[in-house]
Amino acid sequence: MTVAKVPRETLANALGADGIAAELAARGHDVVRTGSLGLCWAEPLVEIDGIAYGPVQDIAHLDAARIGPTDEIPALSRQHRLVFDRCGRVDPFDYDPTPIRAHLQRQPADILAEIEASGLRGRGGAGFPAHIKWRTVHDTPSDRKYVVVNADEGDSGTFADRLIMEGDPFRLIEGVLIAGHAIGADTGVVYLRSEYPLAAEIFSEAIDTARGMGLLETFHIELFVGAGAYICGEETSLLESLEGKRGEIRAKPPVPAVAGLFGRPTLVHNVITLCAVPGILEHGGAAYAELGVGRSTGTMTFQLAGNVERGGLIELPFGVALRELIEDWGGGTRTGRDVGAVQVGGPLGAYLTGAQLDTPMTYEALAAIGAGVGHGGIVVFDDTIDLVRQAHYAFAFCAHESCGKCTPCRIGAVRGKETVEALIASERPEVELAIIADLCDVMEQASLCQMGGMTPIPVRSALGLPQGGD
Amino acid sequence: MRLADNDYGTPPSPAAKTVTLTVDGTVVTVPAGTSIMRAAMEAGIPVPKLCATDSLESFGSCRLCLVEVEGRRGLHASCTEPVAADMAVHTQSENIAKMRRGVMELYISDHPLDCLTCSANGDCELQDMAGAVGLREVRYAGGEDHLDAPADTSNPYFAFDPSKCIVCSRCVRACDEVQGTYALTIDGRGFDASVKTGADDFFSSECVSCGACVQACPTATLMEKSVIEHGVPDRVVKTTCAYCGVGCSFNAEIKGDQVVRMTPDKDGKANHGHSCVKGRFAWGYAQHRERVLDPMIRDRITDPWRKVSWDEAIAHAARRLRDIQTDHGKGSIGAITSSRCTNEEVWVIQKMVRTTFGNNNVDTCARVCHSPTGYGLKTTYGTSAGTQNFDSVDHADTIVVIGANPTEGHPVFASRMKRRLREDRPGRPPARLIVVDPRRIDLVRSPHVAADWHLPLQPGTNVPLMNAFAHVVVTEGLIDEEFAQERCDVESFRAWLEFAAADQNSPEAVAAVTGVPAEDIRAAAHAYAAAPNAAIYYGLGVTEHSQGSTMVMAMANLAMATGNIGRPGVGVNPLRGQNNVQGACDMGSFPHELPGYRMVTDDAVRATFEEAWGATIDAEPGFRIPNMLDAACAGRFKGIYIQGEDIAQSDPNTQHVEEALAAMECVIVQDLFLNETAKFAHVFFPGTSFLEKDGTFTNAERRINRVRPVMAPKTGMAEWETTQALTRALGYPMQYGSAREIMDEVASLTPTFTGVSFDLLDRVGSVQWPCNDAAPEGTPVMHREEFVRGKGLFVLTEYQPTEEKANRKFPLLLTTGRILTQYNVGAQTRRTDNVEWLDEDRLEIHPADAELRGVRTDDWVSVTSRMGEITLRADVTERVAPGVVYTTFHHPSTGTNVVTTNLSDWATNCPEYKVTAVEVRPANHRSPWQETFRSRNTEQIDLLPAG
Amino acid sequence: MDQAALAHEIAGRHLDRIGGPITALREVAAEFGYIERAHMEGVADAFNLTVAEVRGIVGFYSDLNTEPRGRTHIRICQAEACQSVGARELTAAAVARFGAGLGETAADGSVSLEAVYCLGLCTSGPAATVDDRIIVRATPEALAP
Ligand SMILES: Cc1cc2nc3c(=O)[nH]c(=O)nc-3n(C[C@H](O)[C@H](O)[C@H](O)COP(=O)(O)O)c2cc1C
Ligand code: SF4
Ligand code: FES
Repeated sequence: MTVAKVPRETLANALGADGIAAELAARGHDVVRTGSLGLCWAEPLVEIDGIAYGPVQDIAHLDAARIGPTDEIPALSRQHRLVFDRCGRVDPFDYDPTPIRAHLQRQPADILAEIEASGLRGRGGAGFPAHIKWRTVHDTPSDRKYVVVNADEGDSGTFADRLIMEGDPFRLIEGVLIAGHAIGADTGVVYLRSEYPLAAEIFSEAIDTARGMGLLETFHIELFVGAGAYICGEETSLLESLEGKRGEIRAKPPVPAVAGLFGRPTLVHNVITLCAVPGILEHGGAAYAELGVGRSTGTMTFQLAGNVERGGLIELPFGVALRELIEDWGGGTRTGRDVGAVQVGGPLGAYLTGAQLDTPMTYEALAAIGAGVGHGGIVVFDDTIDLVRQAHYAFAFCAHESCGKCTPCRIGAVRGKETVEALIASERPEVELAIIADLCDVMEQASLCQMGGMTPIPVRSALGLPQGGD
Repeated sequence: MRLADNDYGTPPSPAAKTVTLTVDGTVVTVPAGTSIMRAAMEAGIPVPKLCATDSLESFGSCRLCLVEVEGRRGLHASCTEPVAADMAVHTQSENIAKMRRGVMELYISDHPLDCLTCSANGDCELQDMAGAVGLREVRYAGGEDHLDAPADTSNPYFAFDPSKCIVCSRCVRACDEVQGTYALTIDGRGFDASVKTGADDFFSSECVSCGACVQACPTATLMEKSVIEHGVPDRVVKTTCAYCGVGCSFNAEIKGDQVVRMTPDKDGKANHGHSCVKGRFAWGYAQHRERVLDPMIRDRITDPWRKVSWDEAIAHAARRLRDIQTDHGKGSIGAITSSRCTNEEVWVIQKMVRTTFGNNNVDTCARVCHSPTGYGLKTTYGTSAGTQNFDSVDHADTIVVIGANPTEGHPVFASRMKRRLREDRPGRPPARLIVVDPRRIDLVRSPHVAADWHLPLQPGTNVPLMNAFAHVVVTEGLIDEEFAQERCDVESFRAWLEFAAADQNSPEAVAAVTGVPAEDIRAAAHAYAAAPNAAIYYGLGVTEHSQGSTMVMAMANLAMATGNIGRPGVGVNPLRGQNNVQGACDMGSFPHELPGYRMVTDDAVRATFEEAWGATIDAEPGFRIPNMLDAACAGRFKGIYIQGEDIAQSDPNTQHVEEALAAMECVIVQDLFLNETAKFAHVFFPGTSFLEKDGTFTNAERRINRVRPVMAPKTGMAEWETTQALTRALGYPMQYGSAREIMDEVASLTPTFTGVSFDLLDRVGSVQWPCNDAAPEGTPVMHREEFVRGKGLFVLTEYQPTEEKANRKFPLLLTTGRILTQYNVGAQTRRTDNVEWLDEDRLEIHPADAELRGVRTDDWVSVTSRMGEITLRADVTERVAPGVVYTTFHHPSTGTNVVTTNLSDWATNCPEYKVTAVEVRPANHRSPWQETFRSRNTEQIDLLPAG
Repeated sequence: MDQAALAHEIAGRHLDRIGGPITALREVAAEFGYIERAHMEGVADAFNLTVAEVRGIVGFYSDLNTEPRGRTHIRICQAEACQSVGARELTAAAVARFGAGLGETAADGSVSLEAVYCLGLCTSGPAATVDDRIIVRATPEALAP
């Protein structure tokens, strides 16, 4: 009997994967539901006996969609998959817990040292060195501690958290268990956005399975599904939400590592950050640190999206040029027009154009041009983009998602939106531009959190205003 | 003028370690953990702020307080950023100024531009800050705003105008952090974020009108209606609330001679800037049209009242009293002092009785509330007072509340207690809570509070319950042997151990009597005894029983046996009902005790006073209130001077009280209003409100607080002057020039008050007695090294069931209490807008009992006891257990005390208000007493002089 | 049972969960289609919160709707990746077609439209959901109930 791998993943499902799986089973294939390989442009991507087909619309015409042996797909084989090594290749529930059991035998101090050696930085957006947080939580005395996983993935253009939670949920469970063991926590909570119902379903199943395997005897993992608030991706807002409250931002200090969930030391990490941890322990922190460029160590899960021919997830060491990702990996725009602008790092990221597209994808190089890696989302626009309208949207999005606690963001976003409207209609745009420039300074420097604080980044880049000092 | 200034922005840091830094070049040293903002303020450098205020945790939302820190990037909110050693802070720079103006420009872009006509003009932080940051123009050209948001004026005392709201959340945070009611929220998010209650308006919401939100609001959004009406005040007098035993300090804010508002004083050591609906808002009775301002006399109580001059009234009263004594003997007259009057007022009355009546017939209304506290704590510990200060509760790990309902009766203290119950940090879990009460009071479960144990005992079974606690502690090895051996009287301790261990005191044995499951008693006793610090708070549910004194001693025993005495976080603490219960007792208005709880029978004590006063003091103890009333009915007691008390409403068995009053020949009542007792009076002396008084009140924590006059007595004479005039008319040369001089005499004659003077109080704010050479600034926690009596005395507390028992005819047990918005007999609160919350007494009855009797909520029911009958409306609720009914006694027309009995505490005669066997039936008529009441009320009002 | 009691019962299943009140309210919204004041009272009582607090929570999260929705509920992604492939045009067409603006319900109650900001399908926009159905590369026709 032939083995047919069909993704059980939101995008593939939306494109008919369930039906295809059923048909393949009816035809006598031994169907395995895997995750997605991240080649989203090819979904539904079906693999039969090692040969990939995609996009598969109709299994009657499978051959028309033949891509070739999965292992030889350049878009896959040229990646450096540490986080996504299993995803899309295996049935996630066909899970071997031996390696994680071994990791959990290691001394916390030993694990902390590996994390430090790896140079791992947070993948949620801020790029903060992971080991500092781990050590802080570890060293802060408390009656209890928490690991909190940020799976609120709200940035447009990002879907890595979703793919891994749907395709390899045990990778995340491993990361949480290792972190919990290392810092002395006994509870892990995953904050998943409500827009990802399939991820919730699969991850819950995984928790149950892990429990059945005896992996959760001394550690409790709970899944929490959000209720629709972008701001809850910000870690303090997320913690408020987990406490069952309005997701209003907390002022820092104290940082969550000192006083987080219910006032207890809490390690908050993005899904992908934690999913990098098992690989780091497996290969060693030093080996991980050799990947990438300078302080941007290891691999990054870039997500190529928007108006792009071949969108998907690309895991590569830091340092690849943005243009290479868009053109070589992505094949240019879906509409076939020239690239107009690329927004990197989500709704609070800069719109990059022209020579900026040659920037290597590292924390440092992007910071140097007033941009950021963020969660690795890359949204391509073709040359029909209206950047003033995008500036308007940046303010509008902030106005929509602002938690409303601090004044610069609460009122500023609305005034920004209105002033861009005035700008569009204006006879003397320099008046509005001056107001917007001042407003951006106020929002950037005075906002409580980066929602208000980073909204100026897309605005300025879209309007051609200089980015702020620091 | 900003009245409530000097705000440090964030609360003080409790840390002992200090940190030195510079702010704009000025060196300042502050405790570690202090915010930069507070450090700057301490260095005399104010930082602009709107969301920060030092009564609330820092929040960081307004973003006006940004500062620069050398060596760090960006700007930092000085309210949320803690200081660090050697930090160099700059509060001013061109960039900072630009950012602050930018933020202010945003604020003002959504704010009405009506400063000149705004009720907060001159008292608005937004206005101040706009000036401070130098905002000159708003460049945003219109757009979305909240200027049309409709105002909510549903609360009788304050208005909420959201068009002026700057969404700083200070109101919401004050409601949460300070009051603990959580009645406010921000609704919506982003630009839509706005302050809301859980209902359509404030009045119908969960709000308890404590005023914390109004106090916290930096703009005119939440504003006292009195300020809207009269304008911003221009003068402040610090004084003390005249309601409950918490004794909150207030700033009476005045414009001309009009009190515009009362705001809680941040420096008040009992309340730390917090208040409740009564003290904060319900002071309008002082101006009420029903106040009687002229002295009046009449020969018979059926005669019309005649307005007379003070001289005539006093001469008349003196003559009547002397005539009575001539006819009926020296012992035929007496006086009752009030816990609502000042220490100085009480002092002169007891002195008058002793020097001119020639007897000791002086008693205080504390008789009917906390006399067992005095007896019980004096016997065991040596002082008739609670052991702690209120702040002590911050250090408690287990809190036991017995027979008290702090959220209703002592709301400001309740808020503090609730803070400790919510506090949850590593190493500092929330305090555990044990509630012993027949009713499910709010502390049992209300938002953010839940008792770990509620022991809903049968009314009247406190003593066996406490004995069972003792049993558990003794038999399960939870005794603090070392404390008991070293600090207590060992012989009595041994005897007590044996008593407690007896089988009849086991939880299993008392379960049947108390109705509380044995395992709950055991668990709660463990939680008490095993806590590092365990504190007991109790109220009239302990004292107003036939074994009130026994119960006080049972609690005192338990605290000693477990070492819970003598440090913060522990103790045995009465929650006093009225503002000056403690003081009235301290001042010696007792028939058996001279000031400072010294026996009149003691020759040496009498000699001290005789020498000081130049008069002979009768060595025989005098009459207690119940003795006076009984003697009056028997025709042996004929004249009485009652100041500030309404025994016809507040004392038990109303019909008996009325009979006694009617039997007397000269009843002198001094009060603000023609109260129920005054309807039986022959002489009426108009009294002054606390706004007119000069003197001191002593609260439940022994704290002596100043009461300062906000205005001259509207009656032309302060109470102490009236008493002094009467005393002189009776032939004794009383010669005080002021209340201050009276306190000087108190200090000179009372060892625990030696150091007290108005000067000291003006200097340090308030002190807790003992205040003397050993403790020049007072004593927050008593019995630290040793008990006042030396060794703590254990007293055996055998249970004697009350004679008042439920039976077939009277199957339910009635217990009584108070509610938040009303106060005692309601003389004050009923004459304020507080009646909007509840303008009648209601009977709480359990659904099972109600169903059996066919009673539904709002139905009229009659309550009959062996003493009498009343009718009122019913509330069917599970707050009371089956078999128990409950009501309040705030409204004279209800006549709650018509049904309560003559039974009283064996040691002190404190009435057993808390247990009355009754039957409840549907009713469609007023009770006979209520009919009489109605006609008497109309008659007596008709007898008042016109105008 | 009245609505408060029903909501209380739902909430009772989440008392020990981290973030329980929000989970309970999500479930109430799912069960009854929207959240009314009585539901808030039930949830508040179950979690020993005030109604005000629950109102504040409900007001914060987009998923916790207090108005009933249309028989078909359509969400169209408005975020950048979908914008880059025509989300704005799709939205305009949907608004015209269903007779309801974003955040509105058609007068006949048939359809309600709502903005959503990213469904994680950003390679294949415009993305949308029609009730539980997920639509990628959406066209106005594909959104039909
Ligand atoms: C407005 C805002 C939204 C954010 N959203 C997310 C998010 O969806 N997922 C995430 O992992 N981090 C998000 N972050 C970053 C988190 O605050 C936090 O830095 C992160 O969870 C830390 O994990 P890491 O160290 O693994 O990056 C957001 C931050 C801001 C300011
Ligand atoms: S910048 Fe301010 S209002 Fe905006 S989301 Fe952050 S804290 Fe909330
Ligand atoms: S932006 Fe529309 S699905 Fe991500």
